[in-house]
Amino acid sequence: MLSIKNLTASINGTPVLKGIDLEIKAGEIHAIMGPNGSGKSTLGKVLVGHPAYEVTGGTVTFEGKNLFDLEPDVRARAGLFMGFQHPIEVPGVSNAAFLRLAYNKKAEAEGRDELDPLEFDDFIHEKIKLVSMKEAFLDRSLNEGFSGGEKKRNEILQMAVLEPKLAILDELDSGLDIDALRVLGDAVNKLMRPDHALLVITHFPRILETIRPQFVHVLSGGRILKQGGPGLAIELEERGYDWVVEEAAPGGHR
Amino acid sequence: MTVAAPSSLLADLLSGPRPTEWEAPRLAAEARLAGRELPTPRDKGWQYTDLASLSRTPFTPAPEATADISGDLLPEMVGTRQVFVNGRYAPHASCVSALPPGLRFLPLTLASEACHCLGTLAPETARSPFEDLNTARFEDGALILVPKNLRATLPLHLLFVTRVEHPSAVFPRVLIRLEAGAELSLVEEHTGQGPYLTCPVVEIQVGEGAILRHERIQRDHATAVHMTTLRATVAQGGQYHSRTLTFGARLSRQEPSVRLAEGAEATLDGLALLGDGQVADTHSFLHHAEPHGTSHQLHTCVVDGQARAVFNGQIRVAPDAQGTDAQQKSRNLLLSGTARVDTEPQLEIYADDVKCTHGAAVGQLDPDEIFYLQSRGLDLEAARNLLTYGFAADLLERIPVASLRRALRRLVLARTHASALGDLA
Ligand SMILES: Nc1ncnc2c1ncn2[C@@H]1O[C@H](COP(=O)(O)OP(=O)(O)O)[C@@H](O)[C@H]1O
Ligand SMILES: [Mg+2]
Repeated sequence: MLSIKNLTASINGTPVLKGIDLEIKAGEIHAIMGPNGSGKSTLGKVLVGHPAYEVTGGTVTFEGKNLFDLEPDVRARAGLFMGFQHPIEVPGVSNAAFLRLAYNKKAEAEGRDELDPLEFDDFIHEKIKLVSMKEAFLDRSLNEGFSGGEKKRNEILQMAVLEPKLAILDELDSGLDIDALRVLGDAVNKLMRPDHALLVITHFPRILETIRPQFVHVLSGGRILKQGGPGLAIELEERGYDWVVEEAAPGGHR
Repeated sequence: MTVAAPSSLLADLLSGPRPTEWEAPRLAAEARLAGRELPTPRDKGWQYTDLASLSRTPFTPAPEATADISGDLLPEMVGTRQVFVNGRYAPHASCVSALPPGLRFLPLTLASEACHCLGTLAPETARSPFEDLNTARFEDGALILVPKNLRATLPLHLLFVTRVEHPSAVFPRVLIRLEAGAELSLVEEHTGQGPYLTCPVVEIQVGEGAILRHERIQRDHATAVHMTTLRATVAQGGQYHSRTLTFGARLSRQEPSVRLAEGAEATLDGLALLGDGQVADTHSFLHHAEPHGTSHQLHTCVVDGQARAVFNGQIRVAPDAQGTDAQQKSRNLLLSGTARVDTEPQLEIYADDVKCTHGAAVGQLDPDEIFYLQSRGLDLEAARNLLTYGFAADLLERIPVASLRRALRRLVLARTHASALGDLA
């Protein structure tokens, strides 16, 4: 589904990603872990086309297409989604109207019928149950004045509405208490399908107890230093990240 | 060197017959206008708004006309509406069957008591020539009197329609008085067709503890000119809350001035949505004359094309007005490289124990917000339009009349090219 080869990217002229290789197939759940500042969010934002980052080398294909040929909105309609670490507030735009618009843009692109406001009401009702959101949040402006946790909930609501093929979830657990994390983790699991895939970006292994990856990659200094199975997350939980970095350093043993 | 020819606009408009009622104030206004010229960019307060095009246009008094207003009716106010066409009361378009007993809402020409009110409800500040022109030549207008402690549940609708084929002028006049403890919501709307000049004057007196909520909607024709003066005095503990929405007219100027007595409260919000070559100028004056008054002012402009928005927010806190709380904010969105905004606060604070905040921001759409919407599948144009709509529509959310709120959302959707995004309203 997603194939990343030797990807390098920089921001304001500073290299941040220094050669990333990653393959994600349908049905798989991957986790990217790593210390703060290692480039995890950058990787996600480069994939969804954030204009602040410059791709300096490498290739990425998504569903057989060159990702970098596609505008961010085209990538989204093609089934790529990122739940952001810090979602933006948009005053004056009602959450419900925005969600319906996003849904209809995707439906239109896929040649499905658009939903009118009444039909969408029924549709969104099911979705907000899935993420245990209060109805009142639909009438509020998009993310405006939402707490950190409410914003994360809203990101997963958007994911539930768009049903992306590949969802990248960046630090979903930041700002969430344990109960909310479980609710949203369960929601993400319910949205997962055999023809979908997930890329979970996290500094803390906690979320991986609910959303269980088959593959774990450790990112540090813009490179993937180590790859492993679910056991690697547990090891990182116990030992932290330093040993991975030391092991990978020149002179260290692999 | 060329010298601009003296404006003949004022003289032209005064050359017509003087209406017979209210002769004394009309003569006084004519006397003040004698020998006066229209302001030029050299005059203080007019440096950004050039009236040259106005002085070159041969305006005459607007002829009588009729208008179909069925599209402008608001269901909440079908029985509490007065309509004026070309400055004259239109009895067949008006209906006041749902007025609460005791509330007086009638055309000035039928209101003998209005005679005492004219020019006295709110003490004058600097008079613009357009206000004097109005006093000298207004044909009709509305009188609203709300007796002591009457809380009107239905809002009133005041609709001024102007339909002309040749450059013509109208002078709507509105007198509003709320006695102590009274409460009222008013929607004042200006609309029309053709190259007219309208110079509305609104005088307001809010009594002790009374509350007036005032929505002012200017959707005049694209070739029209709108020059309006509003003067309000708010007595002890009274409240005046207004929201002025500017959509139409090629050239417009709002001059609201509000005087606050002890513990009085005022809101003076504004939205201007401008495109093409429109010029919209707001020069406001908030006078905290006595202690413990509160004022809020949020002025929002969305400017596209070669349009230009001007905002000058004067706030005066008198030496006695201790404990004043005045907040002013000006936020502006420029949608094109040729759009312009000139915004400045003008604070005159003569008391020491006051809280006065002001801020102004002029900018473009936030690239992070655009990207966020794009990342959810909205194309660039849809994302930009939706954000523009949001910037403007933020101010509509607090409009108390549901049908009006919906209608204005649709208007803002259309003006921000967001209609294509579906029925967001
Ligand atoms: N907008 C930006 N401007 C400058 N530097 C940035 C910006 N965004 C990220 N960086 C830098 O890129 C590196 C990686 O950041 P990020 O991808 O956010 O890391 P992570 O998500 O792993 O914590 C950090 O050194 C950070 O300081
Ligand atoms: Mg991060």
